Amino acid sequence: MSIAADLIRGHTDTIILAQLLGGDSYGYKINKAIFEHTDNSYELKEATLYTAFRRLEEAGFINSYWGDENTGARRRYYTITQSGRTEYKRLKSEWESAKTIIDGLINLGSEQKLQNDFGKDEEQ
Amino acid sequence: MNNKLRAYMDELFSDAPVNRKTVELKEEMLRNLTDKYNDLITEGKTEEAAYNIAVASVGDISSLLEELNRDKNTLSSYDNTPEKRKHALLTAISVSLYILAIIPIFILQDERGLIAMFAIAAVATAIIIYSSMTKPRYEKLDETLVEDFKAWKAQSTESNELYKAITSLLWTATTVIYIVVSFKTGAWHITWLIFLIASAVGAVIKAVFDLLKKK
Repeated sequence: MSIAADLIRGHTDTIILAQLLGGDSYGYKINKAIFEHTDNSYELKEATLYTAFRRLEEAGFINSYWGDENTGARRRYYTITQSGRTEYKRLKSEWESAKTIIDGLINLGSEQKLQNDFGKDEEQ
Repeated sequence: MNNKLRAYMDELFSDAPVNRKTVELKEEMLRNLTDKYNDLITEGKTEEAAYNIAVASVGDISSLLEELNRDKNTLSSYDNTPEKRKHALLTAISVSLYILAIIPIFILQDERGLIAMFAIAAVATAIIIYSSMTKPRYEKLDETLVEDFKAWKAQSTESNELYKAITSLLWTATTVIYIVVSFKTGAWHITWLIFLIASAVGAVIKAVFDLLKKK
């Protein structure tokens, strides 16, 4: 539970950028998408989400604008920029390589010889 | 119930500086929180439960508030910089030139003195104009109303300085012309009209400045 939650929080930027690749969106909609894509298990804290929005906007990866809803209060939409798309690709490939590294480290135990080496390292 | 969420956001942001960024962030978060609340009600949650879930989802906003406060604390001062000293020096030089401008008239006692006076006054005016044009404009430090006011004030002071310089030149010149012409012609009964003319010229200058300011 906490590993997945930590990983999601650690990849807030990538997740937001990925969501915006599918079209302009707003805070609650993005969070709802995360909720639905994780079998209704996870969602980001609003504070985490809006801190990420500010950070991404300051870096020039996303832009924001106010929608003109007919009813009720205005809604702030976010849109991905060209450099945001580049950043998304960079973050995605970074995650892919990190995933390979973690998989490699975790699967060490299945190989007997390596397990022994690992055990020796632990003793030292 | 909407008011309860708004009250909660007000409480959350009570320490944040009052500026556009804060207001917009609050509006954005409240709108999304309200959406969430309404969805929870639609799902069949009670008002109480929906409110608690929505509020719990906000999390720790201290880093957001920190960012809002950080913008406020990046104050920089224009006082006591080399720029400011340069402008003070230029203003001092031009003011003393205005005072010294009368001396050639006493020494030369003719038209050459008058020409010298205008030449010196022209240089003094040029210095003042240069000084006010190169003065750094007051830049807004954040989006508060106080900063808006300071920027507006700085802008109007800039054109006021030029206006003051021109009018002071006008009245000094008028007095000198009045005295010189009156002594030369001896027509004291009519030469006072020069002041009326000068006053008309002053009104024209003011009108021109008001027009420029409106643009």
